[in-house]
Amino acid sequence: MDPHDAHRRFERLLADALLSKDPVEALDGAADAGEILEALGIVRSAIDPDGLRLTGLLVAKLRFERLLRASPEAGKRFEADPREFTRAFRRYHAEVPPTTAEPREEKRLFEAWTETSPS
Amino acid sequence: MAPAVGLTLQPERSYLDLLSSLFEEEADYFEVAPETTWIREGDRPFRRNGFFGAFLEIGERAGKPFVAHGVGLSLGTMTEDGARLDRWLEAIAMSQEAFRFLWYTDHLGATVLDGRSLVLPIPIPMTNFAAAAVRERLAAVQAIVPDVGFENTAFPFLLGEPLDEPGFFARILERPRAHLLLDLHNLFTAAVNFGVDPREYLARLDLSRVIEIHVSGGSTNDPEWLPSRRVMRLDSHDGAVPEEVWSLLEETGPRCANLRGVTLERMEGTVERDDVPRLREEMRRIRRILA
Repeated sequence: MDPHDAHRRFERLLADALLSKDPVEALDGAADAGEILEALGIVRSAIDPDGLRLTGLLVAKLRFERLLRASPEAGKRFEADPREFTRAFRRYHAEVPPTTAEPREEKRLFEAWTETSPS
Repeated sequence: MAPAVGLTLQPERSYLDLLSSLFEEEADYFEVAPETTWIREGDRPFRRNGFFGAFLEIGERAGKPFVAHGVGLSLGTMTEDGARLDRWLEAIAMSQEAFRFLWYTDHLGATVLDGRSLVLPIPIPMTNFAAAAVRERLAAVQAIVPDVGFENTAFPFLLGEPLDEPGFFARILERPRAHLLLDLHNLFTAAVNFGVDPREYLARLDLSRVIEIHVSGGSTNDPEWLPSRRVMRLDSHDGAVPEEVWSLLEETGPRCANLRGVTLERMEGTVERDDVPRLREEMRRIRRILA
C-alpha cells in the first residue's frame, strides 16, 4: 500500500470508528483495519480501548456543546426533557456527519435534520 | 533576559472582565486561538467576529503583544484537498495583519479526518509521510508568520509508544524556524494515563527547540462514561496547576535555551470571581520560577 493511500484509508477508518456508537467494536470489526494499521506500523493492541472510547465521547460532547452554544431552542428542549433531547442528539450525531466546527453551522445542520427526521 | 509570562484570552465576556486586572498587571503577552475570532460559514472566506476587535483592544490598552495558538488548522490532516487549508491560511493572514503574532502554534494532531470535523485533536501515525505532511503545513503558515510550531498534545489514546514521540517531533523540527510548544500539563496527563516517565520523555526532547511552555490544570472523566469505569486525566484547563507540573517547570524551564514565553492556559466557562487571586498567584509563581 503506498503511504498516501494508507494514510487516507486510516483517516477514514479512524473517523468512522470515533463517530460510531462503540469505537472499539467499530475498529475491531472493520474488515481492512489490520491491513491499514500494519501498513502504518501501528500495533492494534497498543491503542488503548478506554482512550478510544473516551475520544469518541469527547468528540460527541464537543458537538453537543457547540450546538447548545448557538441554539437557544435546542437548549430549551434539553432543559425541558434531557433524556429525550439526548436521545435525539445521539441519532443526529450518528446520522449527520460533523462537517463543521462552527456553532452556527452546527445549529443549521441540526435544524435541517430535525425538519426531515421522524421524531 | 527571562522568558515572558503569558495568559490566554478566551471568547467569553465574563472571562475577559474577570481577568482584566491580570491582563494589565501580570501578563507580558496574550495568547489567542485565532479561530475563536472568526466566523466560519460554509465555503465562504472567514470573517471577523466580535472577539477579533475585543482582543485587539485588550492588547492595545495593555500595550502587549500576541502569540497565536490554534486547534483547528489540523496540522495532521494528510489527505484533504487544499480548499479548507486555503481558507484557513487566508484567515491567518487576516489575523496576522491585525495581531502581529510573534509566533504561531497549533496542536500536533488531526481535527479533521476524512472531511469530518472532529474538533478534538486526534493522534496521527508516527510515519515519515506524516512528519513530511506536518512540515509542509507548517511551511504554509511560515509564509505568513515566520516562527511556527506545534504542541505535544494530550491524547486519550496513542498510536505507538509515548516515548517514541520525541523522535517523531525531531523529524518535524528539521524545518528551520519550526519550534516545539512544550505543554507540561499534557506531559503530566500522559504520565497519569499511560505511565510515561516525564523525565525520560523530556530527556529525549531537543529542548533547544522549545519556544513556549504551557502550564495549566485539568480534571478527569466521570467513571460512568466508560464501561470499564476507568478514570483518565483530561487536558481540560479548568483547575489549579498541579504540583507535579510546577516541578516539571522548575526542572525544565531553565534548560530551554531559546524559551521565549510560558503561558498559563485557562478555558472559558471555568473562571469565577474566587478563582482570580489564585490565577494571579499562578502567574507570579511562573515569573518567580523563570527569574
